[in-house]
Amino acid sequence: MTLEDIIQETKTFYCLECGKCSSICPICRYDPNYSPRVIVENALLGLESDLFHNGELFSCLTCQACQLKCPSDVNYPIFIQKMRLMASNDGQQGECAHSGALQSLVRLMSNPDITQRRLEWLSNGYRTSEQSDILFFVGCTPYFDPVFEDLGFQVTDVSRGSLKILNYFGIEPMLLPNEKCCGHDMLWMGDVKTFQKLAEQNAAMIKESGAKKIIFSCPECYRTFKEDYPNYAKIDCELQHITEFISGVIEENGIKFKELKKKVTYHDSCRLGRHLGLYEPPRKVLQAIPGIDLIEMKQNREKSLCCGTSAFTNCDLYSKQIRVERLLEAKETDADILVTACPKCQIHFRCAMVNKGEEKGPDIEIPVTDIVNLVANALEGENNE
Amino acid sequence: MNDEKNDSILVIGGGIAGIQASIDLANMGFQVYLVERSPSIGGRMAQLDKTFPTNDCAMCILAPKMNECYRHQNITVLSYSEVTDVEGELGNFEIKVLKKSRYIDETKCTGCGECAQVCPVELKSEFDQGMGTRKAIYKPFAQAIPNLYTIDKKGTPPCKAACPAGVDVQGYVALISQGKFKEALNLIKKKVPLPATVGRVCTHPCETECNRGKTDESIAIAALKRFVADNELSLGSEEITPAPKTKDEKIAIVGSGPAGLTAAHDLVLMGYGVTIFEALPVAGGMMAVGIPEYRLPKNVLNIEIEAIQKLGVEIKLNSPVGQPGFTLDDLQQQGYKAIFIAVGAHTSRKLDVPGEEMKGVYHGVSFLRDVNLGNEVKVGQKVAVVGGGNVAIDAARTARRLGSKEVTIVYRRSRQEMPASEEEIEEAEHEGIKIHYLATPVRIIGKDGKVTGMECIRMELGEPDASGRRRPIPIEGSEFIVDADMVVPAIGQAPDLACLPKDNKFQISSGGTFEVNDRSLATNIPGVFAGGDAVLGPATVIEAIATGHRAATAINCYLQGEILPPEEELPPSVRIEDIDLTDVLETKRKVMPTTPRKQRAGSFEEVNLGFSEKMAVEEAKRCLNCGICSGCRECEKVCEAKAINHEMKEEYLGLKVGAIIIGTGLDFYDVSKLDEYGYGSIPNVITAIEYERLTSASGPTVGELKRPSDGKTPTNIAFIQCVGSRDFKHKPYCSSVCCMYATKEAILAYEHHPGTESTIFFMDMRALGKRFQEYVARAEREYGATYIRSRPGRIDVNPVNGNPIIWYEDTTTGETKKFETELVILCQAMIPSRGIEELASILGIDLDIYGFVETPDKLFYPLDTTRPGIFACGYAHSPRDIPDSVVQGSGAAARAAEVVTTKILEPVAGGG
Repeated sequence: MTLEDIIQETKTFYCLECGKCSSICPICRYDPNYSPRVIVENALLGLESDLFHNGELFSCLTCQACQLKCPSDVNYPIFIQKMRLMASNDGQQGECAHSGALQSLVRLMSNPDITQRRLEWLSNGYRTSEQSDILFFVGCTPYFDPVFEDLGFQVTDVSRGSLKILNYFGIEPMLLPNEKCCGHDMLWMGDVKTFQKLAEQNAAMIKESGAKKIIFSCPECYRTFKEDYPNYAKIDCELQHITEFISGVIEENGIKFKELKKKVTYHDSCRLGRHLGLYEPPRKVLQAIPGIDLIEMKQNREKSLCCGTSAFTNCDLYSKQIRVERLLEAKETDADILVTACPKCQIHFRCAMVNKGEEKGPDIEIPVTDIVNLVANALEGENNE
Repeated sequence: MNDEKNDSILVIGGGIAGIQASIDLANMGFQVYLVERSPSIGGRMAQLDKTFPTNDCAMCILAPKMNECYRHQNITVLSYSEVTDVEGELGNFEIKVLKKSRYIDETKCTGCGECAQVCPVELKSEFDQGMGTRKAIYKPFAQAIPNLYTIDKKGTPPCKAACPAGVDVQGYVALISQGKFKEALNLIKKKVPLPATVGRVCTHPCETECNRGKTDESIAIAALKRFVADNELSLGSEEITPAPKTKDEKIAIVGSGPAGLTAAHDLVLMGYGVTIFEALPVAGGMMAVGIPEYRLPKNVLNIEIEAIQKLGVEIKLNSPVGQPGFTLDDLQQQGYKAIFIAVGAHTSRKLDVPGEEMKGVYHGVSFLRDVNLGNEVKVGQKVAVVGGGNVAIDAARTARRLGSKEVTIVYRRSRQEMPASEEEIEEAEHEGIKIHYLATPVRIIGKDGKVTGMECIRMELGEPDASGRRRPIPIEGSEFIVDADMVVPAIGQAPDLACLPKDNKFQISSGGTFEVNDRSLATNIPGVFAGGDAVLGPATVIEAIATGHRAATAINCYLQGEILPPEEELPPSVRIEDIDLTDVLETKRKVMPTTPRKQRAGSFEEVNLGFSEKMAVEEAKRCLNCGICSGCRECEKVCEAKAINHEMKEEYLGLKVGAIIIGTGLDFYDVSKLDEYGYGSIPNVITAIEYERLTSASGPTVGELKRPSDGKTPTNIAFIQCVGSRDFKHKPYCSSVCCMYATKEAILAYEHHPGTESTIFFMDMRALGKRFQEYVARAEREYGATYIRSRPGRIDVNPVNGNPIIWYEDTTTGETKKFETELVILCQAMIPSRGIEELASILGIDLDIYGFVETPDKLFYPLDTTRPGIFACGYAHSPRDIPDSVVQGSGAAARAAEVVTTKILEPVAGGG
């Protein structure tokens, strides 16, 4: 794949150098010298090697806010993805956060000979089965628990909450005991080789399981399976995010929820929102719970502000400022809880609150929860977790 | 092909391109028909303040052209018209044009504007892009050509459509909103001669259909009618002079209820002699002897009846027709040439249960009549009323007031099916009246011939019966006793036919009502008509009034030997979906003040107290003016040229032309779709055309550049180019004129206020015409314009001062910046005029993918459409400025002239 190929595929040649992308980009708000347009310009001028060594190539959040408004319809996120691929071939990979721990774990996982003990988070009371039409894809929450211990919550709560919901509706899904990382971060970092290995292994395991439908609680896994896997590995299943599943049950039969008198606000994650276009199912779910008062943040749906970091790379001061802006927006709604549907968004928000830095910074404390945990607690006849 | 030389040409669209084409052709000697769909020619150029690159006042250079066009002897301007059909071919097109009704005689109107001064309906002006207002009767702009007013009528307001008497509801409500109470009352009185009464007792079907009711709450129409009527009464009635008797004939009316009084009122004003024969000692029918005093004070009713008498109507009380000396034959012999029977329905239906003849069974109608006549009435301590209509409720509430300790209503269906009005039912409950639903009496129990109770049986609802309501079915074994010492049946009424001779030949229905011709209300006996409850069965006052009018018209035609005129067909009703609700804030309906409930016990004082003037005006202002023109007729009163005709109809014209030119121009793209710019949510973000209206001396701010949020004159403004243009997500094409007009508008701002700084965020500066580049350079040098090459992506707002804050990337340095300014002008994309798809389909021509007219041969026949003989020019053809539109207008004129004179079918595609 050449630079020319990338430019053709993403229609970057249409770029009119208008700069609208930069004026929308959340990073540019805090780093005025960052410019998506300049990155495109450099590519078009054949200066890609400068780009590779620049590091700015890896700052993009791939949040797709620019693509939503680009008058020339340039597919900027995929342009970035492919440029990073070329950069990766050149030995570049951006600055990995947490000293590269997560990337290392994923690369280790990609070894087909490795067997993991991934299901320890499954305590008693959660029912799965060996044979089912439905497979629940857990994602890397079991690995996030130890890495993000300092954030004061268990990311695997998201997986447990999802299982509780599925069990409540009589579904005992299959779980892959040796599930591999979906590879989202690898792909977006440009490490396509690792991504391919992971995709092929996941595809083989899923095929062997005989699953007909896969339910995800992580929008990044969902997006990767839906949009990126088809180019690399064959998955012949129906794909659904858990909020789509719950919203479907509400439409078909209705769900009798317990009353939960709370003001909540909902954060649209980039992958579930702009990438996949799913704005309404989570809202439908929230509004079906009696007592819930859903108040929208100023930037909602397509205008939602990214949580500040993508692929655990180039997590810097600007990422932090973006998070603070988003949390301040959440606080402005006067909501009791900030609800997300993406485990990684939750990690990033909590990180901002815990690692406040100066004591005299703005008050950004607000309880954050994943939508599955809110829903699980509102199910009739269930004990609170 | 027809050899007949047809040298007429049709030009569609009266903007500058169409005007130019018309003048060129007319000067060549061709006959031109210029069809323009709005009330005036001039098009978009009329809306501009100045034009680039000369900065001439747009109207100053346009108006002479408009005049020349209109006055040219070879040009016929058909304004407020649309082409609806095109048949035929080059050299021989047959065109159908719809000339919409202005409701104003074009030969008489002088454009003076007196009418608009008095019109009570104000709405957003399209010419001012919604930033200014106009009236329902309007001229789009001061220099409009033709210089005529137009009345904007949208259809029938649902209130008027629902009123059985066809009252101009929107009209009088609009007049009340302007404080014109006398005019409002006069408008009401055209259809309702008893407004104070009707305002109190009407069932107001208008309010049920009111479109405001579909938004928040319906207008309190009946209360408003009552207000203006009471207001007049309180001011003291004017002298009423008897109507002149211009006709020899006299008419007898049997019954002085609302039907009889209305017919009498109409006939006496037509010049007839009218005598009403009333059996009872008082006039007013059910209004006097049915409706209790606390709902309708008799002194109010009597003043209104007296007003009718003062016109010359004779009312003979205690004169029951049917008695010797008063039979119908007697009346005919006494010289009455026509008789209107309006005896109402005063006979109460029997319960048909055992025990009905006992003492203490007092029919509701009789009970109420006795109370209202002031006769002595003894009520029981425990009263059981049977029935669910207003008579039952009236009887129950009256019994309470007369001192009954316990009053119960027994009704055989459920509350939803109860015919009585909801207000009455609620008040009854508040007054301590119990209602047994789904129960009916099976027998009356008594001792020594006097009532002691009523045995009832419970009911359940089965399938709907003929009335559409579910039929009550008795539940076996569910009998129960209601203690009572007085039983008041109120289960229905029929006309008392005692006025008819025993051997009469009238056709009477099974329900006991007169069968009459629907339109003329004539019975089968010539010269005898019938109306009101006598025909309808127990109905409402307003329905009776409607029949009174109908009968009067029919009787007049009968006596004059004329044919009854056809029914007025109302245009379709305006639906809520057709109304622009963007500026309508939720406002509650005014609540009728009432006598406190505690005070009502034992008292017949009026319960509803009526609106104050302030309440009435505020309530009237809630009206949505559904029909736009309210039908108040104030304009007619002040038009000295007598040019207004509210009954004017639209007409169709047929034209034969040899060729057609389309110059339908442009519309503005809805830039609220680009929500990143906040148009519609940030007040100080406006579009360029709105800016033109602000700086224009004929605009809503008389040429003062005032920004929307606070009216402040901004000295720092910003323009954003290509909003919706050159955008794959909106319109991919370039709108052609925005670069130049933004420069022009920056210059204008500086001329209004020297020192104004304008920043223009551009993509390219397209300055393609003669001296255009110099114009741009001068703006930069002398008029405070700064050009920044960038396309902003986001506008925030400064909450303190309302200033928009523009986020953009300086594409020369790569730095993302914020720019605070006082006013942002979005240079919006322009699109072909709305409706062009329908027009293209009528004309049988193709459009391109953007909706512009397709002109296949772009090199040698660039104005030829896909149908021979039809040409396009101006913005309908493609985005271009005024000089180029004029050029194309002349070009299209030349092509049209060529093909019409030579009749050569020229190639449509290819060529060269």
